[in-house]
Amino acid sequence: MSATLQYLVNGLVYSGVIVLASIGLSLVYSIRGFANFAHGDTMTVGAYAALLAFSGTSALLVGGGNATAGGGLAGLLGGPAAFVVALAVGMVVAAIVAIASERLVYSKLDTSAVGLLIASIGVAFVMRAIVQILFGNIQQAYALPRSGPLPGFGALGVAVTARDVVVVVATIALVAALHVLLQYTSLGRQMRATSDNRDLARASGIRTNRIVDATWAIGAGLAGAGGVFLGLSLRLQPLMGFNLLLVVFAAVILGGIGSVYGAMIGGLVIGVIHELVPALSTYGVPINAQYANTVAFLIMVAILLLRPRGIMGEAV
Amino acid sequence: MSDPVLELDGVESGYGDVQVLNGLDIRLEADEIVCLVGPNGAGKSTALKTAFGLLEPWSGSVRLRGEEIGGTPPEDVVRLGVGFVPQTENVFGSLTIAENLKIGGVSRDGGVGARVEELYERFPLLREKRTAKARTLSGGQRQVLAFARALMTDPDVLLIDEPSAGLAPNTAQEVFEDVAAVNDLGTAILMVEQNARQGLAISDRGYVLDQGRVAYHDDAAELMDDPEVAELYLGG
Repeated sequence: MSATLQYLVNGLVYSGVIVLASIGLSLVYSIRGFANFAHGDTMTVGAYAALLAFSGTSALLVGGGNATAGGGLAGLLGGPAAFVVALAVGMVVAAIVAIASERLVYSKLDTSAVGLLIASIGVAFVMRAIVQILFGNIQQAYALPRSGPLPGFGALGVAVTARDVVVVVATIALVAALHVLLQYTSLGRQMRATSDNRDLARASGIRTNRIVDATWAIGAGLAGAGGVFLGLSLRLQPLMGFNLLLVVFAAVILGGIGSVYGAMIGGLVIGVIHELVPALSTYGVPINAQYANTVAFLIMVAILLLRPRGIMGEAV
Repeated sequence: MSDPVLELDGVESGYGDVQVLNGLDIRLEADEIVCLVGPNGAGKSTALKTAFGLLEPWSGSVRLRGEEIGGTPPEDVVRLGVGFVPQTENVFGSLTIAENLKIGGVSRDGGVGARVEELYERFPLLREKRTAKARTLSGGQRQVLAFARALMTDPDVLLIDEPSAGLAPNTAQEVFEDVAAVNDLGTAILMVEQNARQGLAISDRGYVLDQGRVAYHDDAAELMDDPEVAELYLGG
């Protein structure tokens, strides 16, 4: 039982990453009208930008001292505070890169949604190559101390680290912030209107080019955060985002492509199921973690066959 | 003579390679209702879309109060005091009625809330349903919302594409009454209408379009009485 509970906890953490990535993919689809295959690599860019910012910030905050040493005020400043700065930088850089790709590539192309999709594969290669050139192909990690399991959860028989808590809490906070933005602000209303009917949005006076920029910024910013959290709970490597992309697509399709709230649900479900796959073996189903992606894709295929518009089934 | 509020002068326009307007001349004076009638494919909707900037004129001129606006994008044309009610998909179905109105007011400098209240006063149905999604409205109710959304900017000119399309005759009559009421408050209206007789009945002047240019134009009453126009274009 506690093994299953542990898988569930892992699933929630993994879901945080998938949810953040799925929202961005769906949001961009809803307003820009194509499936962005560079979205996974946008996560990677966010993760590495945060890595750079983290080492820079922690060096600055503790006067060049070693942040990983931990302990005392210097450890705090070099650790969590620097990480918050790094997270913000990762999100902003991912947003800038996405807007740049819209301005320099997608907006220049007079092509269909399929043409844009293929162009985004090219953009993905460029982003990945730049990460590889700058950071190499080795695995890296944020130089934060790994605390080990938090004692409070020991009674439940599960190991939960501070990093796990950070990922889940931050994901909830970002999702809640997005909800407030979409439902209660003028920008959010204009984004929903533009997604609903772009011509009518323009006829109503919405400057839809700005809304497209804002959508890229928000979608890529969330993807960047997802990349940072993926790097935080595992490691950074140049293929980290790309490797996640198909699982993210499964989540988005489950939720209904173009639907932000569907992406939240789809991300949660796919993330948890993905991590629960190994638990099946404890119930006698001979399957291990290597098949987790396969299970996610089977769900995606089933959804496409049975309910192609997904759970939410309509725009934002 | 003062400039008409809106004027299309020798406008050619179309979609892709397909030319629809072949030198169209239309003029709309302030406070008028002008109705464009004519067979399918005559270019009525294309004329509205070109005037509003959804299509760029290939040649010719679109002038608002004497100023050239041809090719100006719609989000800017709105800010110059022109509203547009498309024929179909003219409300944001996934947004509430209140949100539809607020979106209609995005180009206002302020006073969105007050303007929404004014429109609630004029169309009480919208206040009643303000928290409902627009997609739940009936055809006639949608048309009212589509109007109200376009009126959020308090435009000088309203372009309306087939306001009665798909509506039952009684509902269509109510919509025409709304159009006339909007005009009474000082908004010039250029309207395309398939129900030519009903459209002309509330209009000051009418243009009969055929193959992308004006075949006839006259006072609305004269057009309806003209036996040739009646036989060729108004169904006898």
